[in-house]
Amino acid sequence: MENKIEHNNEIIALKGLTKRFGKNIVLNDISLTFEKGKTTVIIGPSGCGKTVLIKHIIVLLRPSSGEVYFHNQRIDNLDEKELGSVRAQMGFLFQGGALFDSFTVSENILFPVRQHTEIRDRKKLDEIVKTKLSTVGMDGFQDYYPAKLSGGQKKRVALARAIALNPEVILYDEPTTGLDPIRADIINELILKTQKELGITSIVVTHDMNSASKIGDRIVMLHNGKVLLEGDTDTFEKSTIPVVQQFIKGEVSEKDLQSLQISFEDIKISETQ
Amino acid sequence: MAELKRQKNGAMVESLGAEVIRAVNNCGRFARFQVSSAVASAAACLRPMTYPLIWNQMLAIGVRSVPVVMITGAFVGMVLAIQAYDQLAGMGIEEHLGVLINLSVVKELGPVLAAVMLAGRVGGALTAELGTMNVTEQILAVRSMGTDPIRYLVAPRLIACLFLTPFLIVYADFLGIIGGYIISVMHFGINSRAYWSFSASGVEMWDITIGIVKGFFFGAAIAGVSCYKGFHCKEGAQGVGQACTEAFVGSFILILAIDFVLAVISKAVYATFWPLKILL
Repeated sequence: MENKIEHNNEIIALKGLTKRFGKNIVLNDISLTFEKGKTTVIIGPSGCGKTVLIKHIIVLLRPSSGEVYFHNQRIDNLDEKELGSVRAQMGFLFQGGALFDSFTVSENILFPVRQHTEIRDRKKLDEIVKTKLSTVGMDGFQDYYPAKLSGGQKKRVALARAIALNPEVILYDEPTTGLDPIRADIINELILKTQKELGITSIVVTHDMNSASKIGDRIVMLHNGKVLLEGDTDTFEKSTIPVVQQFIKGEVSEKDLQSLQISFEDIKISETQ
Repeated sequence: MAELKRQKNGAMVESLGAEVIRAVNNCGRFARFQVSSAVASAAACLRPMTYPLIWNQMLAIGVRSVPVVMITGAFVGMVLAIQAYDQLAGMGIEEHLGVLINLSVVKELGPVLAAVMLAGRVGGALTAELGTMNVTEQILAVRSMGTDPIRYLVAPRLIACLFLTPFLIVYADFLGIIGGYIISVMHFGINSRAYWSFSASGVEMWDITIGIVKGFFFGAAIAGVSCYKGFHCKEGAQGVGQACTEAFVGSFILILAIDFVLAVISKAVYATFWPLKILL
């Protein structure tokens, strides 16, 4: 019975997802499901394939093998035109914001609105911009160009753009990276707000453990292209897997430490010579 | 020793094969990009929603290129007059200078040099803009919002280049003719009436038409190569810089190659239809 309920709530599913770049296997046979209205955080060390994974969810990358489902419909085999309507139901927050720098904040937010709706009335469009910017606490910045905004402000505007079409799912790629702790927490609060107030399903890729434990209903850890562990914060804290503990505590492994010492000793030797 | 030599030869064949595969892949990718761009451009012409984007690009690509293209044209005409005068004056036929200048300007030098100038000004800007958008994930952002980046970013630029390059060539030709006239008549003192009458008899409508027709091909070549390089540039400032250089060199070579092919074709067409003109 429980399984059935979970299946009904399932909005996105990855089945046997594998991605190779040349000979390098980045994702290796990953199967995951994402529940509607929940926030799933994908963590893992840099370069473990987290970003590659969420780019597959919106099919910005095609899998080498395996399948991607959205509302039980397979989407990884759709052509770009067919994907347009699927992508309109998802928002993607890029690591650097990826705001169009030749557009103002207002024009950035209206980009998806103009592309996917027939709304052309200036007043209505302004209202949409105002609502979305108010949601992220950026009302009043309508006429700014992205170059004039700070890193945190850019991410908030990018989030406003991502929710412009009221999507069902938002994918966040390293939303707190490069921000000071206060700005990072603002983004965390916004992610929680979008989930609670708008009922949006969130999938967040991060290596910020504080952020993961604050916003995640479920945490998935990737390591060497595979799912190493999944569960809630407690599961991760109680885990005895050394890599998981190192990641949570932010500790360097013995092996890495040794390699660092060797290289420093080499420098000392070369300097004395 | 023999084993080592065999291994070396094997590695050579392997790297040669890898290069060939890479080149074929690149050709295929380039061809697919151009076909998608052509289809998207044709569709964009029928979608009024795209018109504002096209106007914006026409302003950036066409209107703002007018001064540099006119300067190019003027200097081409003036230099031709300076260089050719002595040779024609030596034979006592300096009054024919107009034919030489105007024919060269409208048929070859005007279109080619204006296109080269555009490859630098417009092509460089297109590659740098799209390349920067690529490395800052803005192109990916367009895709993530369910919009085809080729339709949204490439089609308006391609259409603007395609339709405005011929117009810019007309400006270059016009200034080239004026420049040649100023040097020939005002500086060398050639009789103005003779200059124009020889020019009119030597330059045919066909010559002007073929020069302008070249503009469509040159415009498509500049936009096609520049947008492709911008879309496929490597990461970082160095990647964008390299893409701009490759776009200019690629456009330049393509302009010269297209010019050669069109020269051959236009000559064949002219030779075929020349007798019919007498009949008319």
